[in-house]
Amino acid sequence: MFERRYKLHPVSAVVDFVKGLKELILPFLILFFANGFSFNLGDGAFWASTIPLGIFILVILVHLITGILKWWTYVYWFEENELRVEYGLFVKKKRYIPFDRIQSFNYKEGIFHRIFGLVQVMVETAGSTNGKPEVILTAITKEAANQIELVTRKRKEQKKENELQEENIVSEEKVSENQTESLSTRVIHKLNTRDLIILATTSSSMGVVIAGVAAVLSQFAEFIPFEWIFEEVSSIIKFGFVLVALAVFVTFLFTWIVAVVITFINYFNFTVIEENDRLTITRGLLEKKKVTIPLNRIQAIKIVENPLRQIFGFAAVVVESASGGFGGEEKKITLLPLIKRKHLYDPLQELFPQFEWQQSLIRPPKKAQPFFYRIDFIWLLPIIALCSYFWFPYGLLSVLIIVPVLLLGLWQYKTTGYAISGNQLTFCYRIFSRVTFIVEKKRIQALECRQTFFQKRKAITSVQLTVMSGLTGAKAKAPNLENRAAEEIMSWFEKTSS
Amino acid sequence: MRNQLMFQIPGKGLTVWRLYGLFNTLVVAILMGVAGFLTVFFEWPSFIYYIAIAVVIIVGLTSIWLFPKIRWNHWRYEVREHEIEIQSGLFIVKRTLIPMVRVQHVDTTQGPILKKYDLSNISISTAATTHIIPMLETNDADSLRSRISILARVAEDDV
Repeated sequence: MFERRYKLHPVSAVVDFVKGLKELILPFLILFFANGFSFNLGDGAFWASTIPLGIFILVILVHLITGILKWWTYVYWFEENELRVEYGLFVKKKRYIPFDRIQSFNYKEGIFHRIFGLVQVMVETAGSTNGKPEVILTAITKEAANQIELVTRKRKEQKKENELQEENIVSEEKVSENQTESLSTRVIHKLNTRDLIILATTSSSMGVVIAGVAAVLSQFAEFIPFEWIFEEVSSIIKFGFVLVALAVFVTFLFTWIVAVVITFINYFNFTVIEENDRLTITRGLLEKKKVTIPLNRIQAIKIVENPLRQIFGFAAVVVESASGGFGGEEKKITLLPLIKRKHLYDPLQELFPQFEWQQSLIRPPKKAQPFFYRIDFIWLLPIIALCSYFWFPYGLLSVLIIVPVLLLGLWQYKTTGYAISGNQLTFCYRIFSRVTFIVEKKRIQALECRQTFFQKRKAITSVQLTVMSGLTGAKAKAPNLENRAAEEIMSWFEKTSS
Repeated sequence: MRNQLMFQIPGKGLTVWRLYGLFNTLVVAILMGVAGFLTVFFEWPSFIYYIAIAVVIIVGLTSIWLFPKIRWNHWRYEVREHEIEIQSGLFIVKRTLIPMVRVQHVDTTQGPILKKYDLSNISISTAATTHIIPMLETNDADSLRSRISILARVAEDDV
């Protein structure tokens, strides 16, 4: 039986081409700046200076041709309960995925896709832990995407039905069951505009934006007449601090607006839907993304509160999932980017009824307190020494770094704790943001106790667990607990197989 | 503290570690030799000599004598019916517990030096982590590997 073969939409060639170009931008810029704009015509070196340009045009052409070739040769079809994909002109690549193995379909709509009503489909399987989806269909029409999902689901259900019929269960019952199943779709969480603005304001990406602006400025440092600016600034200072304050304020306002815009582009219309034991997350303004996670693939849940959000009582919920999301960049999937801590527990309780959310934590002992900041002195002391030596009078001020480091250590000490209840382990720790890490025993891959010589003297142990997430796994740490506590966690974990 | 784990690494392992330390020191010595040569060549201040010599001596002492000894003393392991427990570390003593049901596969590897001493490394992989028990007698390593793979074949949990 020869099944019908489908091709991708021609736009996929363009999308692949543009993606290739994006990767080229950085080397191109580097070359451009290295050349120092020295395309002086009429010079003897003219031809030499065009060589890099020629290479670039060649590379771009190659990208264009490979993009077109990929589209030209790419076919996918359904056969024998498998999704089959084939492409390549000289080297034929074939990939056959049984429907049973398909964990989820993720969708992404870039700007090109949206103009033509297309969508990019990423097929996730259990094996695709190296961050890359098993199959990427670069651009197909939405109907085709729906069709793929429908065919997959139908075949899966057929198989299930066959199994059920063997057990003498009437198929009509199955149909009615199906109807109730499809009815169980419900919206778990949605972000409105106000949430988005708060999210932008309190996000750590503010810092990233500032760094980005600084980086861009430093790139153009040569072209900025600093001396002139300094003269101006010093005269401004004479005018008074009002102007300086105004300038600072404007900078912050600008940064804030950039952060808000970025957040809007990424998180616009963020919606979480639960449907047949699957979570579907949709988001994005220009580029729409849709991820589906089967609930049973979720390995652990993290409640993250960065300091700013903690003050205002907000938290974010991140999910560690065994399947990869959108490839390498997003191993962790943000389930609820921003929610009031008070309102956090209801949706989580609904989604994960097996967990207890509010627990009293067991804290590290008082004697463990110095261990939270003492380790930092190892790198602090040389820095202070060097600063004091090289910038003698003012360098001594670097001693003041100790104060925030100490306070941070104390805060970490106050945050740290753990709780065991049934098959659930909760770790609470802080680097800067407070993280509450909640995991079931059967999801923990390995547990590790760590003890330095000094900790041993005081009978203190750090505990670290690893769950599966992406390629390297995700770790959670409860530092500097009492020895007894570490032993309790270890023996709790040992009972795993009983 | 929990009771001490049963098995230690064979004494030959310590010798191999010392050998690795020796290679390490040789590399550092060559680098420092180059530095010394450059000092003569460009007539840099002579204290560079002393620093270079001190570095070689310190690296030699630590990586040939001290570190292998400490590491060897810390290394312990135990393979039980339901879990594998490994203790390792130089400055930080780590004690790792891996449930048998999480083990995905076990490998033994052997480089040329290990082959000469008839030793092997065992690496135990879970879905997220890889753990190594180094410097086991090849026979022991092979039998341990097959034992773990048999024990790990017990009912798999979904991951």
